[in-house]
Amino acid sequence: MTVVQPNDYSAEELMAVVMARCLRPAEVAIMGAVSALPQAACRLAQLTTAPGLWYIAGGSGAVNPHQDPLVASSCDERLLDADAVLPLLEVIMLEGRGDIFDVFFAGGLQIDASGNCNLGPVGDWARPTLRGPGGVGLPFVSRSRRVIIYSTSHTRRTFVEKVDFISGPGFMDNGDRSRQGPSLIVTPLCTMDFDPEKQRARLASVHPWVAIDEIFERTGFDLVPAGPVPATAPPTDGELSVLRRIDSCGLLRRGDA
Amino acid sequence: MIAPLSEAIDKLVPDGTSLLAVGGMHMHNNPMELVRELVRRPRHIVRLLTSPSGCMAADLLIGAGIVDEVATSYIGFEHLGLAPCYRRRAESNELRVLELCEGAIGHGLYAGASGLPFVPLPSGLDLADNGRANQESYKTVINPYTGEPVVVVPAIRPDVALLHAQSADEQGNAIFSRAHFTDRLMAMAARRVILQVERLAEPHEVAGAAAGCVLPGFLVSAVVVAPGGCLPTASHGHYSYDEEGLREYIELSRTEEGFEHYLRIKGLASVEVAV
Repeated sequence: MTVVQPNDYSAEELMAVVMARCLRPAEVAIMGAVSALPQAACRLAQLTTAPGLWYIAGGSGAVNPHQDPLVASSCDERLLDADAVLPLLEVIMLEGRGDIFDVFFAGGLQIDASGNCNLGPVGDWARPTLRGPGGVGLPFVSRSRRVIIYSTSHTRRTFVEKVDFISGPGFMDNGDRSRQGPSLIVTPLCTMDFDPEKQRARLASVHPWVAIDEIFERTGFDLVPAGPVPATAPPTDGELSVLRRIDSCGLLRRGDA
Repeated sequence: MIAPLSEAIDKLVPDGTSLLAVGGMHMHNNPMELVRELVRRPRHIVRLLTSPSGCMAADLLIGAGIVDEVATSYIGFEHLGLAPCYRRRAESNELRVLELCEGAIGHGLYAGASGLPFVPLPSGLDLADNGRANQESYKTVINPYTGEPVVVVPAIRPDVALLHAQSADEQGNAIFSRAHFTDRLMAMAARRVILQVERLAEPHEVAGAAAGCVLPGFLVSAVVVAPGGCLPTASHGHYSYDEEGLREYIELSRTEEGFEHYLRIKGLASVEVAV
């Protein structure tokens, strides 16, 4: 049984709303390339449930860009309309400090059950079947308190049992539990959280238009739910109207983010 | 200081340049005019270094077949897609890739600019596979203060850096009035710097911006005036990226034949140049 996607909002809009809901006032978040989605989420959170949230938009070094409007590239000049702008080296310095960033938004061409992300080579490292662009600052996820993973693609090629290359480390085999690590995965089909004991992704909620079997079919690892799986709460009218004020060009509405 | 494009490349980028750094970040402030001239010559580059996020400048040099290896943490076109020539050459093993992380590039350039031989990285970065894939750059040593292992990366000293700034005066003092990414850092680490600018700055403009973002002329070897020279990438303060132009490049460059066609229609086919 497949329910038709609700016509009144897009999958990417729902993803932004879901990510916004798990941000807290006064937290500091950071994101990298292709980050219009988490940027929209952060700005939405600032204007709704997380006033006082701080966020840095990737390589632009922009702190709390005003998103007037939301833009597609993480180094767009319009992001410099912000509360502050840091030189890139200083962003890199602070990423390493280890006690600054509460939330790191990550993604990958491959994402695995332990929350590892790969933006580098898929297949053999020396002769990859797909040469990904590279992980930029993803190794720094290990220096942030928790990691939120987002992907606009949900296929067996994206969600794999084990990534071919670790750009952004998730829960490692060495069982380091000094940080919370990956906490949430958001896709166009569902959300996943992590079993704290097994340190594996599990199905947390299913988007309203998605049949649960479709998720299992399109996930390359065994995705065990924690229990009965609820539907992802759709955006409220309030969330959607604030989000669309931010995304006045409709990047998320059209799926261009 | 102010030099014609061809003369700057001829004099400052020797054939067989061992490390060439190219500035800009994503589809912004790529020094495309300088890069296009390198492709036309063409000049053989042993190793290319990108900023933490390279884009068209790197992909075009790689596509032209003049680069042996690339040291990078990202080459791509963000929301517009993957880098077509980087993919093709890396997937066919014609291009050696030195996997670096953003920290290794940023701190490595800082070390290069400071005379530090190498620089330790924060713990935790070793959980990523970059160090296993690139054992030339990432080494583990013992921290003499704690006795704990620590990962280090080498200083980066480019032979030549190709960079873009909004404007510069006749002494090479340059204004970076918007985001400058790792461009100023590359200039400080490199032995020679060719700066591409939208226009010459009036003396009073540089004086007025001195406390802001000026790169002093003693770090600059040549200034090439190239209005519109970042296109189809953006030039902060002047124009946004030309999305159609970027898409045309990405589309045509998916195949070797398409890329050759792109070079021909853009006047980038290599030419014999009398020196």
